[in-house]
Amino acid sequence: MYADYAYLIVALPVLAFLLCLFVGWHLPRGGGFLTVLATFAGLILSLGIFSEIYPDKIIHQSMPWFANFNVGILIDPLALVMLLMVTFVVTLIHIYANGYMNGDPGAARYFAEAALFTASMLGLIFADNLLQLFIFWELVGLCSYLLIGFWYRKPSAAAAAKKAFLTTRVGDVLFLAGIILLYNNLANLNLALKPGEYLLQFPVIYANLAQIAPDQLTLIALGLLGGAVGKSGQFPLHVWLPDAMEGPTTVSAMIHAATMVTAGVYLVARMFPLFYAAPYGLTAVIAVGAFTALFAATMGLTSFDIKRVLAFSTVSQLGFMMAGLGSGAAVGTLAVGVAIFHLIGHSFFKALLFLGAGSIIHAVNTNDLREMGGVGKYMKWTMYTMLIGSLSLAGFPYFTGFFSKDEVILIAYEYGALINMLPYIFLVLAAVLTAIYTFRMWFSVFTGKERSNYAKHESPWIMLGPLVILAVFAFGFGLAAQDDFYKYLDSNFEHYDLDFVELGVIGGHALEGEHGAPAVEGEQGAAAAEAGHGAAAEGEASEGEAGGEEGPGEPWYIQILPIFIALGGILIAGLFYWDRVKKFDPSQVTGDKDPIRKLLLKGYYQHEIMTGWFAETVVYGTALICNTIDIKLVDGWLNWLSALVLGFAQHVRKVQTGIVQNYVTALVLGVVVLVVVITLAKEVGLV
Amino acid sequence: MIPLELYILLASTMFTIGLYGLFTQKNGVKLMMCIELLLNSANINLVAFSAYQPNVNGQVFALFSIALAAAEAGVGFAILIALYRLYGTIDLDNINAMRW
Amino acid sequence: MISNAISLLIAIPLLGAVLSFYAGTKAKFVALIASLIPLALSLQMYLEFDKTSKIMQFVESYNWVPSLGVKYTVGIDGIGFPLVLLSTIVSVLVIIYSWGETKKPNQYFALLLLNEVGVLGVFTSLDFFLFYIFWEIVLIPMFFLIGSWGGPRKDYAAVKFFIYTHVASLVMLLAIFALYFTYQMPDGSRTFDMLTLLAATADKTIFPTSMLNIIFASLLLGFLVKMPAFPFHTWLPDAHVEAPTAGSVVLAALLLKMGGYGLFRVILPMLPHVDKAFVTIIAIIAVISIVYGAFMALAQKDIKKLVAYSSVSHMGFVTLGAVAFTWMSVTGAMFQQFSHGIITCVLFMSAGTIQHVVGTRVIADLGGLADRMPKFAVIMMAGFMASLGLPGMSGFVAEFMVLTGSFATLPVYTMIVVFLSVVTTAAYHLWAMQKAMFGPILKKYMNVHEPHAYELFSMAMIIVLSLIFGLQPGLITDIMGTAATQVMEPVMTLTQMGVI
Repeated sequence: MYADYAYLIVALPVLAFLLCLFVGWHLPRGGGFLTVLATFAGLILSLGIFSEIYPDKIIHQSMPWFANFNVGILIDPLALVMLLMVTFVVTLIHIYANGYMNGDPGAARYFAEAALFTASMLGLIFADNLLQLFIFWELVGLCSYLLIGFWYRKPSAAAAAKKAFLTTRVGDVLFLAGIILLYNNLANLNLALKPGEYLLQFPVIYANLAQIAPDQLTLIALGLLGGAVGKSGQFPLHVWLPDAMEGPTTVSAMIHAATMVTAGVYLVARMFPLFYAAPYGLTAVIAVGAFTALFAATMGLTSFDIKRVLAFSTVSQLGFMMAGLGSGAAVGTLAVGVAIFHLIGHSFFKALLFLGAGSIIHAVNTNDLREMGGVGKYMKWTMYTMLIGSLSLAGFPYFTGFFSKDEVILIAYEYGALINMLPYIFLVLAAVLTAIYTFRMWFSVFTGKERSNYAKHESPWIMLGPLVILAVFAFGFGLAAQDDFYKYLDSNFEHYDLDFVELGVIGGHALEGEHGAPAVEGEQGAAAAEAGHGAAAEGEASEGEAGGEEGPGEPWYIQILPIFIALGGILIAGLFYWDRVKKFDPSQVTGDKDPIRKLLLKGYYQHEIMTGWFAETVVYGTALICNTIDIKLVDGWLNWLSALVLGFAQHVRKVQTGIVQNYVTALVLGVVVLVVVITLAKEVGLV
Repeated sequence: MIPLELYILLASTMFTIGLYGLFTQKNGVKLMMCIELLLNSANINLVAFSAYQPNVNGQVFALFSIALAAAEAGVGFAILIALYRLYGTIDLDNINAMRW
Repeated sequence: MISNAISLLIAIPLLGAVLSFYAGTKAKFVALIASLIPLALSLQMYLEFDKTSKIMQFVESYNWVPSLGVKYTVGIDGIGFPLVLLSTIVSVLVIIYSWGETKKPNQYFALLLLNEVGVLGVFTSLDFFLFYIFWEIVLIPMFFLIGSWGGPRKDYAAVKFFIYTHVASLVMLLAIFALYFTYQMPDGSRTFDMLTLLAATADKTIFPTSMLNIIFASLLLGFLVKMPAFPFHTWLPDAHVEAPTAGSVVLAALLLKMGGYGLFRVILPMLPHVDKAFVTIIAIIAVISIVYGAFMALAQKDIKKLVAYSSVSHMGFVTLGAVAFTWMSVTGAMFQQFSHGIITCVLFMSAGTIQHVVGTRVIADLGGLADRMPKFAVIMMAGFMASLGLPGMSGFVAEFMVLTGSFATLPVYTMIVVFLSVVTTAAYHLWAMQKAMFGPILKKYMNVHEPHAYELFSMAMIIVLSLIFGLQPGLITDIMGTAATQVMEPVMTLTQMGVI
């Protein structure tokens, strides 16, 4: 019954968008309650659908659109958990925004755009074909543009919005190329489609993957990955994410926690069979992910803007998710479960952290960590909810982040054992840094002395309420949901006509379940398997049934390493930044002149390279060169031609003397010449 | 019957006189008159040939030509009058505002 | 079923043009009525139009100059009808947009209507003679619109526009004569009938390939200049910059479509019979137009010139889709014609509105206008988004179909377009938007205000249309899909269709 109304999950926010856009100006708080209600209705519907289809059904509705394309709704386990997460987190963010945006003259516009943003993200999730996904994908990009540029009077906001749109657009180009390639490859198969089946529908894609040539699969996978890299802020297209802080904090929370950036991870998860079948697909994914995780974490260490710290942490955590998905080369579909679990856990604690940061900024009126300090005295609720969020992000045992992130690290280890250790090392280092920068932020904000004269009050309950709810999830979700979650998501691709063994052969992967005897690097894997099983008994719950039994296990020290990572990181942060145990001053380690510090502060000079050099010099320079060519050459030869004609005419028209006798002379002479010529011609016999 | 040669002689004399006028005269009215001479010499030829070779085509052409000449004269003199009002002269050497 | 629907469609604006010329200050009312009637008529025709039929519909044929084989033959199929619809819609909106025109309004509206007559004639004529007459008629009102209501360099622009396109038309006329004088009907007479002549080009004994190549190239030149495609595009920016807003809108939305229409109607049926090198040549021209147009737009300082170059870029998709010659790409190219026709209106209207609200179009001099003109900013933003190919608006559907379809036959060219143009297109739109509308409001613009309601109305209507056709492209792609199938089959003459 709920399934019949699945389309309302998107339709209601769209309705809220229209209402807010046209009549929101006359409603209290810009009509924010409409957006909240619409999203909340989506949550109810999603829960209803969950109760109907859990654990072994899917919903697939479809209708023709135009040409060879359709619109449809596909709710399988993967889509369902995403729907639940997005509607839930976004509802809370919208509630919070009702407090946060109160009094802003553009509130109606904010809620309209936020509603559209929600609708696009939800539409992206339950799309049943790649084209529809792409459409909502682009709409998400549009809404992020609108929302980041919400305070459009600020030049930096307008510039950041443009940068976000263009950077993600670079990824979208690759995504589009991937879709075009995929479509043409499928079209070339001349499939006998049943009525109601369309080429770009996910079930059709899944079912026919094995028939596409492997090199084409790799190209398609790289294209789609390009889209994901753009949207999910992976290196090298992550440059827009930190700048995206120019929008209201609630926007940052939405973009970074629940929507937008998760879309890229979702895309890779959704197309996981394709990446799995493509020979270099997952290798590219894990390479990008692991590198980004570490890369972004280093930048998070030095940022002074609280929102930027969180932004870099988002980029880093998305790297973890990508790396998790990439580990699928070793662990198969389990990787989808692990990555999505981290995605969802992350969305809880990152939303919490952003909203907490918003609460602080709302009160303190600055983003700068150096101007805060001791805020905890005045904002108890914010402090403790953010502590939970920070612990979760740092991966403190028994918090959500602990289960989710550590599972990623573990499967990366399995990937390492089978194929290449480098991603694992990167991820471990990134995890240490995560703990450090998270608590650097927390300690500098809430403890110590007031470093500037800021307003001292707690935020209203409309803002604290969502914080508390999110805190509960950021703490408890991991422990409560973990096992069922993996099982449920592992079943995701069982609903389709898919054979992972066959796809694995195409992709050249060690087959899942072939227990420690992979074709590629046999001895390493076997050793890992032996060592792993000894430790499996004492392993924590996260290593549950799905991975532990089949894949190669991990030695005990690998299993407990994450705990020390978290504790160690927090300890290091405390030694530097917590006034009660402070042992070192950051300036003892790095001075102002330190080149590494400068490099990190400048964010590896990406702004200079990407915007300054590439966009403004290369692209705009090309445009200027084209312009010169156009004026000088393309239009130039035309003007040259007309100048030539005019110049010739200048001379020729001198013949017109204006004296009648000259004309008569010419006339008579002409006649004479004609007569002579004709006569001569007759003489020689030409005529 | 008067031989054809005489007609041709008359016509060519008229034509030559007209042409001479065109070469030498500068007054607009005189030029118009010369042009009329040219036209009429052609008309004489047309009518004469038409009479010697029994065929009315030539006479029809002559009629056309006369009508045309009349129209031309009408327009021409109108222009000359307008020019005279504008410049106070119809000496064509002085009326050259539209040359290059 | 309305009898003589197409003749009415052409005659009513013509009558309206005459009446509004004599209507003095009441001209705008006459013009509005005279453009609303064809709109109603074309909507009625849309309802009656058989979307699955490949034969000409609403055909009318009368002898005109029998001794020369000239006939007055009009009819529409899936190639022409969407453009007829586009013309009637755009004409109404342009007239509404120009409601406030005070300089010689009677002539102004008469010329706009005359333009509508010309384009409707081009899209419906099935006789080359008639086709050419309408093709040339269009030049005249546009020449005067640019020359009388234009900007500072209007004379240069008007003359350049006229001569450039006219020379190209003459080349095309020569090709038409070549067709006319080569092909003889079975009874020995000559004909200007378009479909008969096009069907005959398939016959190697009548038109040897070497000869057909020349004819083809001449026709192609005529159409590519009109499109306009690189390197024949330079008349367009000048004409646009100097033309009054309504002139620009009509020029971009309707006149350019004549070139694209020629591609589908005349070029594609001949394409299989000419040298294969032409495919490469046209594809290269298309790709350069798209990419180069986008880069040129990025370099422009005048917002109207930017929009003009965006037209070059977008019309390149039409060329690309047409020459790729797959069902999907041809359908997409036809849809791109329609879609660009709609979207470009709002872009030029935005540029025009900025011009007469603020007094300048130089992007660097603008800033923060959204602050004073929020409604206009929303509409302009929506228009720019539609133009950069945002999904949900019609431009995306068209470009997606063109790219997806073209990849099958021209993979390399398609990928060049994808990689070089998509981001650049977004870049120049967003850059212009950001500079003109966002940021702090400049002091000198504190007093600007929202544009007139009629301007906002016509722009908003276009956004609505773009959304409708973006969300439900099937409304018009069904027709185009049939036409695309038809384009790829041998040409059927009217007799073979059984309509005469």
